[in-house]
Amino acid sequence: MNKLALSAAVAAAVGLASNSFADGPIDGTIYGKINVSVVNTDENSSDKWKLNSNASRLGVKGKTKITDGLYAVYKAEFEICVDDGDCKGQTFTQRNIMGGIRGSFGTVWAGKHDSPTKLAQKKIDLFNDLEGDIKNTFEGENRVSNIIAYTSPTVSGFSGTVAMIPGEGADVDGDGIDDTGLSDGVSYSLSYNKDNLYLAVAGDQDVDSQDLVRMVMQYKMDNLKLGAMYQQNEDNQGTKDESGFFVSAAYKMDKTTLKAQYGFIEDDVDGDEEETLSLGADYKLSKNTKAYIFYTDNTDSEVDSADDEASSFGVGMEHKF
Amino acid sequence: MMNSTDAKLWSGAFLSVAMLLSGAANSSCDFDTDDADGPDFLDKIIQCEKQQGSRDKSAKTSRANNSAQITKLYGDGSLTASGIIERPVAAAGTLNHHANQSFVARQPYSLRPDAKFEESVTIAIQKLHLEMAHYCARGWDMQRQWTEPNGQQQGDFFLHYQFRCAGT
Repeated sequence: MNKLALSAAVAAAVGLASNSFADGPIDGTIYGKINVSVVNTDENSSDKWKLNSNASRLGVKGKTKITDGLYAVYKAEFEICVDDGDCKGQTFTQRNIMGGIRGSFGTVWAGKHDSPTKLAQKKIDLFNDLEGDIKNTFEGENRVSNIIAYTSPTVSGFSGTVAMIPGEGADVDGDGIDDTGLSDGVSYSLSYNKDNLYLAVAGDQDVDSQDLVRMVMQYKMDNLKLGAMYQQNEDNQGTKDESGFFVSAAYKMDKTTLKAQYGFIEDDVDGDEEETLSLGADYKLSKNTKAYIFYTDNTDSEVDSADDEASSFGVGMEHKF
Repeated sequence: MMNSTDAKLWSGAFLSVAMLLSGAANSSCDFDTDDADGPDFLDKIIQCEKQQGSRDKSAKTSRANNSAQITKLYGDGSLTASGIIERPVAAAGTLNHHANQSFVARQPYSLRPDAKFEESVTIAIQKLHLEMAHYCARGWDMQRQWTEPNGQQQGDFFLHYQFRCAGT
């Protein structure tokens, strides 16, 4: 059987399975988004135009009932590169992929996934996936391989997640010894989410060579949404000891949302500083489609050397499906 | 590194699967794509699929109702030599039209080596078309066709046509 026939056969088999279970307990949903922008970046007095794909993605998620109150849950999400079709040499690259068991006890899940610390940020980053993404300034925005996690049920608005990350032979804590345990890296979050208020405290231990604690707040008042984060982190080599804050605000006026955010972090070891400022506006074209415009300035300041500054402005559109 | 042929193969396979699943996507709950990366992504999956379950029930009810609206044209007629109750084929000149109404008709046929021409599938199809023309004089669309074995004798079958009269 040639590859094309094999591909068709697989697709047909899945189709038959899908049809066979159409009335049954398997609920799979495909989702995704296309997010493209045309951006001009001026970096140290040299500017260039780019078309960016901004983490456009395609995913499948769902749950399957095992018994009453017990479910298998799954999600498999892949990045698609709308700009040139080349995602680091691949057609698709892996994003969040997990499977788990969900019951009244909570959810046990595993896979390659955003850490609880990253999840706890809860999109206070209003320029996520663009040049102003806080991952360009702050540590802790990690998608972690080999993550094994437990998420508690939500009780009176409170929920928690703790994750273990086996080192699988890598030296994750930088002590010169290969780590082979179950919890060589740990990430956790505790959050409160009720009415218009969201609060979270989260942290990492030996994740991406960092020990980290962050606190997050989000508050909604009518058309205004405010976000704030405070973070401290140090690497396990002792070469970095950072603390910083981040604030954001979004104000919705009919179909237009005005957005602004600012972040600053300073390294107490060498005095280096990083700063990010983004301004922008979204215009809602339909329920799932928006056009946007933005300006971002990211500055890295190192002691005894010139600032490394990158400013970008761009226009783009995002369509979710 | 994946070569070009492999990349195309996997792309094709992935998109095929995606298209097959897109039916579910169309009927999914109001799930924002960014919710998949949110701290409560597990709750969103559970909540959405619960709504999906409700829709499945609605869909089943709808299908059941549709099924109830399909009129069977066999089983309440005269007794044939094979012992099967069949409704007689409509006589010429008795044409009707039931706009948008669905029917299921069936005719026996045989694939036995000693079967007579009158028992052939050709005649069964001819009779089914006469029947469809009788109930849908202004045309119809074929919704489904299938065959079931006649348990009375090996090699004998029933050809079923499910059809719906045109809307005009």
